[in-house]
Amino acid sequence: MFLRKRKSQGPSAAWRIAIWPTVAFALGSAIAFAIMYLLIAKDIRQRSDAWLSGEAEVLADVSANTPRDALYDRLVEEVAELASREVPGASDSRGQHQNPVFFLQAQPGQEPIWVGPNPKERLIQAIKSSQLAPGIPADVQVPGWEKAFRVVYHRRDDGGVLYLGFADVGGAQMLDRLTKRCLLVWGATVALGFLITWLAAYRTLTRVERISDTVSRIGSEDLSSRLPEGPHSDEISRLSRTFNRMLDRIQSSVHQMRILTDSVAHDLKSPVTSVRGSLEVALSDGHEGRWQECVAEAIDGLDRLSQMLNTTLDLAEADAGALQLRKEPIDLSELVRQLVDLYQPAMAEHRHEVSTRLQPARIDADPSLLNRSIANLFDNEIAHLPPGCHIHVSVAPRNGQAELTVEDNGPGFPPSLRTRALERFVKGQHSTGHGLGLAFVSAAIQSHGGHVQVTDGKHGGAVIAVSLPLAEVLSERV
Amino acid sequence: MRLLVVEDDSAIREFLNRGLTEAGYRVDVARDGKSALALADEEVYDGFIVDLGLPDMDGLDVIGRCRAQGHTAPVLILSARRSVDERVRGLEQGGDDYLTKPFALAELLARIRNLLRHSTPVQSEPTCLRVADMELDLIRRDARRGNDLLQLTAQEFALLEYLVRNAGRVVTRTMILDRVWRMRIDPATNVVDVQIYRLRNKVDGEGKRPLIHTIRGVGYVLKEA
Repeated sequence: MFLRKRKSQGPSAAWRIAIWPTVAFALGSAIAFAIMYLLIAKDIRQRSDAWLSGEAEVLADVSANTPRDALYDRLVEEVAELASREVPGASDSRGQHQNPVFFLQAQPGQEPIWVGPNPKERLIQAIKSSQLAPGIPADVQVPGWEKAFRVVYHRRDDGGVLYLGFADVGGAQMLDRLTKRCLLVWGATVALGFLITWLAAYRTLTRVERISDTVSRIGSEDLSSRLPEGPHSDEISRLSRTFNRMLDRIQSSVHQMRILTDSVAHDLKSPVTSVRGSLEVALSDGHEGRWQECVAEAIDGLDRLSQMLNTTLDLAEADAGALQLRKEPIDLSELVRQLVDLYQPAMAEHRHEVSTRLQPARIDADPSLLNRSIANLFDNEIAHLPPGCHIHVSVAPRNGQAELTVEDNGPGFPPSLRTRALERFVKGQHSTGHGLGLAFVSAAIQSHGGHVQVTDGKHGGAVIAVSLPLAEVLSERV
Repeated sequence: MRLLVVEDDSAIREFLNRGLTEAGYRVDVARDGKSALALADEEVYDGFIVDLGLPDMDGLDVIGRCRAQGHTAPVLILSARRSVDERVRGLEQGGDDYLTKPFALAELLARIRNLLRHSTPVQSEPTCLRVADMELDLIRRDARRGNDLLQLTAQEFALLEYLVRNAGRVVTRTMILDRVWRMRIDPATNVVDVQIYRLRNKVDGEGKRPLIHTIRGVGYVLKEA
């Protein structure tokens, strides 16, 4: 159902895409053809009008200057006959002229001279009833004739009138043929244009459809398939690439989520198991004297659990950008000094030597978050260093940043861990921690606009460098 | 001393009731905001312990109404919400102290004691603290056990002073970090234990009766025998 529905959407979208350009194209070309038609029609009329006026003048001249004898009528008729043969574009392939021409000379008291198609009565009637201005050609509709006659008339000095009329049937036919051809060409072009647009849209939409098919398959089946990216570098290929990058990220976060769930399950289960075990032992017979120890162990386990819960929640808050910072101006070196004082005995207990080089570095930060972050760094050192190492802690202002580095000469991070050390639930093989410590440090420092870097020391060992913007730099920027 | 505990979770309510009664307080319990306000109207309490997540109203509203009705007794807020902002809001709306779940009973008792002490007239501050044969001079900031002057650093003296001020009462590691080092951190390693171990080496040296005792799973207590 779902698939069929989408399948039918492809072509219909192509149709919708193609129809509008086609309509616009059809309208535009129709207007262009119409203008061309009008121009040609005007040209043909001008040509026939010019012929009419010229011939009428010649005929008027002839009729005026020819002596009025018995031959007069014949002569005028002859001249009119000759003139009608010179009608522009008149003769067709058979040599017959198509365009009917008439000549009428009317004089009071004399028989009119008529040269032209017969019967002449209708024509004469139409001419007589028309309103004409001398010397200016005008249309005269004649019943029985399809094409209107173009008629010009001259008034002779003796009161006679002579008319010359011309129905440009050839011109009309030419225009007619032109119109038909134009319509044909126009129709073909519009159809072709529509076809091309539709095909182009269809092809593009087919690619889009393939993407949506693949994506829906990925959504329902597996995250590992990818869209074909193709050799083009057009928008659709970019869309595919963008989708693929997005899928990469989704796959990696799903993977991370899986690791996270596994780790949480493991890390939660072990303290729960040990708490349960301790309490069971406390309840069992023969332990009356030692139950306190078991309960104490249970409380230790619960403390570990609640610590992990807190860190997980803090991390979630930091990720959601919801860590509420209560910033105040503090000296990072002073804060570090206090923490070193607190941690030094515990480090000495592990036979670690601690050296410090603390220079004042004023920053705006949330002291409680920083305390916890740096405590995490020190906890990390104690948890991962073999006994008898040297730990060097330094604070110094550098390039607008307060830099805190914690450096040791231990074995350093295993190469596989170094780049991922700041990710959550990433921990060493023998680590008993929950792998959240450094992730929390990174999130807390980032929420202060700083960053954490994990590198190898010059002489082996690990270096964790924390940079935080100095207070002066911040106030300058604001 | 009479306390009112407002908490909807029956397990926590029972455990608070038992713990506080054993510590010598008279305890009334309320499971929701309405009954808490009704009780507060009838009785006079020396302190309130209020959970923020109540079924019928926000714990902060309960505190606000108590304050509006003229109750001045100190209020300890309990909450599962841990954000600093939440804490500050609680304290601004009339709470006197704030404890997040899960908490140690020892810490709750210590905070209640602290609140009740602050609400009663302050006695003149002693300049000298004494437990068994140990004497702390708070002016000169030195400590003696019998005739021996203990060689303590400033930090060790502060730790010892805190233990002596709370002599006979259990203090947790979190309380020690909070009160002596002024840090709200939750170390994954045994930093506090090592500090106590060092202090104990100096205070309870060989041949002396031990004063600093470990309560496993909870914390430490300074007492005679």
